[in-house]
Amino acid sequence: MDKNFQEEFTQIIKFTPPLYKQRHQFVKDLVEKYKPKKVADLGCADCSLLRMLKYCSCIEVLAGLDICASVMKENMHMLSPLPVDYLQPSERSLTVTLHHGSVAHKDPCMLGFDLVTCIELIEHLEEPELKKFPEVVFGFMAPSIVVISTPNSEFNPLFPGVMLYRHPDHKFEWTQAQFQSWALETARCYDYSVEFTGVGQPPTGMEKAGFCTQIGVFVRKYPQTGESVQSEKPTEAVYKTVFKAVYPSLKDEKYLQNAVISEVIFTAQIIKHRLMSKHEEYDDDDPEGKSKFQPSMNCFSDYLGKLVVEKGMEPFVSGNEVYIPLATIFSFPKVNRLCGTFEKLCKLIAGKVTLSSDGSAVMFNIEDEDE
Amino acid sequence: IGIQVSSGLQDLTLRDRGGHRRDFHDLGVNTRQAMVHVQESKTGMCFSGRMVKLTTNHFRLTSRPQWALYQYHVGYSPEMEARRLRSALLFQHEEHIGKTHAFDGSILFLPKKLGNKVTELFSRTRNGEDVKITVTLTNELPPTSPTCLQFYNIIFRRLLKMLNLQQIGRNYYNPSDPVSIPKHRLMVWLGFTSSILQYEENIMLCADVSHKVLRGETVLDTMHYIHSQVGEERFRDACAKELIGLIVLTKYNNRTYRIDDIDWDNNPNGTFRKSDGSETSFVEYYKKQYNIEISDWMQPVLISQMKRRSGNVQGPVALIPELCSLTGLTDKMRNDFNMMKDLAIHTRLPPDQRQREIGRLLSYIQKDDNVQKELRNWGLSFDYKPVSFTGRVVQGEKIFQSGNMFDYNPQFADWTKETRGVPLIHAVPMDSWLLIYTRRNYDVANTLLQSLFKVSPSMGIRMNKPNMIEVDDRTEAYLRVLQQKVTPDTNIVVCILSSSRKDKYDAIKKYLCTDCPIPSQCVLARTLSKPQTIMTVATKIALQMNCKMGGELWSVEIPLKQVMIVGIDCYHDTVSGKQSVAGFVASLNQTLTRWFSRCVVQSRGQELVDGIKACLQTALRNWSKWNKCLPSRIFVYRDGVGDGQLNTLVNYEVPQFLDCLKSIGTDYSPRLTVIVVKKRVAARFFAEIGGGLRNPPPGTVVDTTVTRPEWYDFFIVSQTVKNGCVAPTHYNVIYDTSQLKPDHVQRLTYKLCHMYYNWSGIIRVPAPCQYAHKLAFLVGQSIHREPNLMLSDRLYYL
Repeated sequence: MDKNFQEEFTQIIKFTPPLYKQRHQFVKDLVEKYKPKKVADLGCADCSLLRMLKYCSCIEVLAGLDICASVMKENMHMLSPLPVDYLQPSERSLTVTLHHGSVAHKDPCMLGFDLVTCIELIEHLEEPELKKFPEVVFGFMAPSIVVISTPNSEFNPLFPGVMLYRHPDHKFEWTQAQFQSWALETARCYDYSVEFTGVGQPPTGMEKAGFCTQIGVFVRKYPQTGESVQSEKPTEAVYKTVFKAVYPSLKDEKYLQNAVISEVIFTAQIIKHRLMSKHEEYDDDDPEGKSKFQPSMNCFSDYLGKLVVEKGMEPFVSGNEVYIPLATIFSFPKVNRLCGTFEKLCKLIAGKVTLSSDGSAVMFNIEDEDE
Repeated sequence: IGIQVSSGLQDLTLRDRGGHRRDFHDLGVNTRQAMVHVQESKTGMCFSGRMVKLTTNHFRLTSRPQWALYQYHVGYSPEMEARRLRSALLFQHEEHIGKTHAFDGSILFLPKKLGNKVTELFSRTRNGEDVKITVTLTNELPPTSPTCLQFYNIIFRRLLKMLNLQQIGRNYYNPSDPVSIPKHRLMVWLGFTSSILQYEENIMLCADVSHKVLRGETVLDTMHYIHSQVGEERFRDACAKELIGLIVLTKYNNRTYRIDDIDWDNNPNGTFRKSDGSETSFVEYYKKQYNIEISDWMQPVLISQMKRRSGNVQGPVALIPELCSLTGLTDKMRNDFNMMKDLAIHTRLPPDQRQREIGRLLSYIQKDDNVQKELRNWGLSFDYKPVSFTGRVVQGEKIFQSGNMFDYNPQFADWTKETRGVPLIHAVPMDSWLLIYTRRNYDVANTLLQSLFKVSPSMGIRMNKPNMIEVDDRTEAYLRVLQQKVTPDTNIVVCILSSSRKDKYDAIKKYLCTDCPIPSQCVLARTLSKPQTIMTVATKIALQMNCKMGGELWSVEIPLKQVMIVGIDCYHDTVSGKQSVAGFVASLNQTLTRWFSRCVVQSRGQELVDGIKACLQTALRNWSKWNKCLPSRIFVYRDGVGDGQLNTLVNYEVPQFLDCLKSIGTDYSPRLTVIVVKKRVAARFFAEIGGGLRNPPPGTVVDTTVTRPEWYDFFIVSQTVKNGCVAPTHYNVIYDTSQLKPDHVQRLTYKLCHMYYNWSGIIRVPAPCQYAHKLAFLVGQSIHREPNLMLSDRLYYL
C-alpha cells in the first residue's frame, strides 16, 4: 500500500453515523427481526445500548452485566421509568436489571434469555476469562441468539496513531481470520450456527481490510431447553444486583385497576356532564354555540361519537342522583380496551366506585355538579 | 475570577439536570451592610410579645473541621469539544483525582487537594488521539463561600437522584406511591423541595414537602375533550386558552417543556432539521429514535420556546400532543372549588404529618448506604434533627369601627361576628343605582334586593330602590343597557350573571372601568340561590359595594404620623405572554382607610419600574392634597418579586424611588423603607404545644436562626388556616432610612395585614399588597389597559 495514499486516507476515516451508533442499530435491527422477549447485554458499560433497547416493545426482560459497577451506577438512572411511564402504564411489562460480575462466571440470573449481546466485549477479556467465556455464554446461558462484535485489526492501519490497539484496555485485536476461526470453533462446540458481518464499511479500494467492527451472529441449532434441563445446572448466584427497575404495566393488576377506575369515573363524568347540559339547554337563552355545532369531519372526531346507545343504556336522573349504566361506560373504546370483558370491568371497580344498588350503574350525586 | 466561577457552576447545575441558570437564592445580594441601625442586631426579640417555642423544617449541615472544597481548572490539548468526551478522558485518571468529584467539563471540584498545583495527565481517545490534560488549582473554597453553597445544592440533588426520586421541574418526587384522584383524572406525587443556604448562624438544609399534580391524559386526549365540550368553532381558541402556559412531560425523556404555542398548520408528518443537519419527519424520528408509533397523524404540533440551550438544540422545540402529558393545574382547575377540595385532602398536610413526611426524607438519606458514602466522601453530614428555637407572638390588634373597639379571638384571626351589624366608619349612600339581571334571574334579583334592604341599615348604609333592568343573557344586551342607563350620578351598577362565563364579565368590567368609570358589582346567580346563606352573602356584598364606592369599614391603631404606605404587586399574563401589569396602591389618610390605586400595563420587554415611578409621583401629589403636606415617612411593600430578581430591585428599582422623591423638591427628603414581600417560601414553622406540633398562632414573628445574615429580614405568620400548615410570609427590608427598630417595622407590617376590606380577618400580606394584587389581576385578566383615573381614589377592583 502506498504510504502517502494511506495517510491521505486516514484523514477522512470518520463514520456517519458514528460507529457505536451503527453497532447499536445493528442490534436493534436484529431485535426487530427476531422479537426476543428477554435480552441480556454483557459488558453493558454506560448502559447506552440497554437504554435504546428499552424502547423496543417486544422486550420484557432486559439485563445488563459489567465488571465495573461504578460506570453502571453512574448511568443506571437512564434506565429508570420516566414519570410518564407511571402516568400511562404500558401494555407490556418490562423489568430492567443490572448485575455486577464477570462473564467468566455462571449465575442463574442469566438463564432463559432469547438474545445475548456482547458488543465490543471479548477484546477486553484476559486470556483465562476468554477461555471460560464460550462455556458461560453458549454452554450455560445458551440463548437462541448470541451477537459478538469486536474490532477488526486489519482495519487499524487506516486509523492515524493507532499503534497497537484502539483502546489501552484492549487485551487483543483479531484479524478477520482469527475471529472467524474462534467463532466457528465455538459454534461447532456448542451446536450453534454462525454468520459473519460487520459495521463500518471500508473505503473504496480498501475492501480487503473488511468492516471496521466485525460481528458474528450465532443462532442455536437445537430447540429451546426445557425448565428441567436448566434446573439441572447447579449454580449459585455470584453476581451482585446493582439496579432493578420494574416498569409500571397494565399486566400488573394494581396499575390496571387504577387505570380502569380512573377511566370509568372520567367517562361517567363526561356522560353526566353531557346529560346535565342537555337538561339545561332547554331554558338556555344563549343562542350562540351549541346548536350550530356539527360533528366535524376533520381530525378531531367527536369524543363521544363512537358511543352506541342501546336500549336500557341511557343514563338517567332520579331524585338527586345521576345513574350511568356500566354497559354504557363499557361501550367506550378506552374502557373496553382496558378491561376486555364486562365481567372484568365489574370485578376491577368493585368497591372502588359508587354503584347503584343492583350494581349496574355508576351513581353520582347532582349536588357535586361543578361549574 | 468570581464571575467565571459561578458561570462554571451553573453549567454544572445544567449537567445535573438542575437546568436553571438563574440564582434562585439571591446569593450575594448584601443589603444589610448599608443599614447601620440593624448592623448589630435585627431582632425585635425582648421588645414586645410573648415567647413561643418553634420547630422548623431546617436541618444543620455539618462538615469536618478545616473542611474546604478545591476548585480546579481543567484544560485539554488539543482542545476537546464534547463535554462527555472531556469527562471520559479525565476520569481515566481516577487513581489521581479520586473517585469523588464533580466536573462540568471545565471546572473540577474535589474534596481533597492534589499533590501539585498543576497536574498533567495523558489520555488517549478511541480514535487513538493523544490528549494532554492540565489540571490547575484555582481556588480553595471555605464552607461558607457562595460557590460552595451552590455546590452543596448540586450534591444534594445528586443524593435525591440516588434515592431514586424523579426530578420534575425543580423538585424531586417519589413515583412509587402516587395518590390518584380519578374523578378529576389527577395524580398527586409526593416529593420534596430542598435548598441549602447560609442562614444566620449555620449552613442549613431547608426541606419541605412538595406535591406534584400530574394528569393521566395526554395533551391529545385533552384536545379531544375540549373539542367535545366547545365544538368546532371555538376549538382552537379554547385549546390555546387551556393549554398555553402549561408544563408537559414527554413520553421519551425526562424533561419538562412549557407550551408556548400551538402550530395548527403542522402535523406529525411535518419535518424538522436534526442536530446533524439532516431532515426528518416527526413520525419517522420517533419511530427510529424511541420506537414510538404516532397514531394520530392529523394532530397539530406544540411549540415550546426553550429558555436554555441544551446541546445543539436552541430556539423553539416542536412537541407532539400525543406524546406529552400534562402537569400542574390550569387556572380553570384552580377555580374549580370541588376539585381543589378533593386535592386539598391529599395536599394539605397538618403540621404533625408534614413534619413526619419531611422526617421521612431525612431518614431515607440517613439509611441509604450509597448516599451516606457520597456524603462521607465529600466530608459532609447532616444534623437529622430539625432546628428549634424561640419565636415570639406580637400583641393582638384591636379593631376600631365607628367609635367601637373590638377584640376578636386571636386563634381564628377573624372579626366577622364581632363587627356584624355595626355602623361602618364611612358608609356611602346608594341613592341611585342599577340592578341588572336576566329574566331567569328575576327572583334571585329580588331576593338580593330584599336581603340588602335588611342588612344595610344597621351598617349605616342608606339605600334607595334601584333601577331594576331585565336584559337578555347576551354580552351586547348588558352593554347596551349600561350605555343607556348609567348616568354620572349612578353610585354603582350591580349585575347578576347566570354563568361564570368570563367574556361577559370582562366586557362589563372593561366598559365600567375605562369608558364609563362607575363602580360595579357582578354577582353569580348561583351564589344567591341558597336561602340559608343569603343573609351572609348579602352582608358581604353590601360591604364590598361600599368599599368600591369609597366607603371605609374599620381601622387599627397606627402610631406613626405623616406616613404613606405603598403596596405593589405584579401580574404576568401567562397565556399570551404579552403583558405584565403592576398594581400600585398608596394610602391617602392617617388611618389607612382610603387608598389611591393605579396600575401600569407594559408589553413584553419593557421595564415596569418606569411606570411605577410615575405612580409614586401621582400618589405623593394625591397624599399632599388630602393631608395638606407631604408624607415624612414612606413604606413600600413590594410583592411579586421572583426568585433571583432581588438584585435588580436593589440596584434599579430602589434608586428610581429615590430619584422620584428627589424630583418632588430639593428640601423634601422623607424617610423611605422598601420591603420585599414573599409569600412563596419553603420555610415552615411549627409551634410545640402540648406535646404535639401545631400551627403557630397569628402574629408569630421569626427574626433569628432561619433568617439570612446578609439581609434585614423576618418572617410573620399573620393568617390562620383551617387545614394544613400555615405558610409564613417573608419580609426583606432592602432599604431603610426610617431609623425604626425592627420590632416597630414588624408590628406595622402585622397591623397592615388587618386592613384588607374584602376579608374581615387577618390576611397573609399587608393590605396594600393584596389590593395591588387584586387590581393587577383584574386589569391583566379582564381590562388589559389602565382603568380610568376617576376611579383611583376608590377600591373599585375589590
